[in-house]
Amino acid sequence: MAKSKAGLLQGTLDMLILKALSLGALHGYGIGQRIAQISGDELKIEEGSLYPGLYRLEHRGWVQSEWDTSENNQRAKFYKLTRAGRKQLTLEERNWERLAGATMKALRAS
Amino acid sequence: MSRVKATVDFIHAWQHADEIADEVEAELRFHVQMRTQANIAEGMTPDEAQLAAKQSFGDFDQIKMSCCEIKRGLPFNMKPIRMGLYIAIACLAGGFALVAVNLPHHNLFGVLWQLAAIAVLMCAFLVGRRKQ
Repeated sequence: MAKSKAGLLQGTLDMLILKALSLGALHGYGIGQRIAQISGDELKIEEGSLYPGLYRLEHRGWVQSEWDTSENNQRAKFYKLTRAGRKQLTLEERNWERLAGATMKALRAS
Repeated sequence: MSRVKATVDFIHAWQHADEIADEVEAELRFHVQMRTQANIAEGMTPDEAQLAAKQSFGDFDQIKMSCCEIKRGLPFNMKPIRMGLYIAIACLAGGFALVAVNLPHHNLFGVLWQLAAIAVLMCAFLVGRRKQ
């Protein structure tokens, strides 16, 4: 049976990228794979949209990148979280929990 | 430190725009290549795998352009700078206007001064409009 997958808002994608990188340095493709893995394959991301998100996060100083060799011996750009990025992730997780809690409360109101 | 690095990256991105574009392209191509390999491993033919990889990636050129634009973006917030500029021009316009009303209106210098005051006021108006 086909599974319906949720689309993502801009800020949510940024948060998921930060979350994926909090588990270790990855290249762009790996980030997409990790997001799929940690979301139980529920979140649908147009793969290319990861990159503007990554560049934006790097521009803000929340991630940093360097070229290295990938698992299949190819040159790839790896990203890792900076200290500022880790702080931002904590902040966004708190905001998200608050927002999700408030939305659930509103939806359950009778 | 990251702010300094962002500024260095910003200058580098403008000085070496082609190099940055090549780097972005290499990164995006790596992704498509990895997806193609994964699709082949799942049983697709190489052609099908490549086509599916390109489709799941999205608009390659558009994404490349977005990444390059972000690289060339200013590493700091422009709002306070624009606000400062607006205040400076408004003060300058006020000063010009004050001098202009105290000058005799019948000589060329007085007329030119008034025109300069109008020009500065126009600048303040335009900067103010852009700020909105």
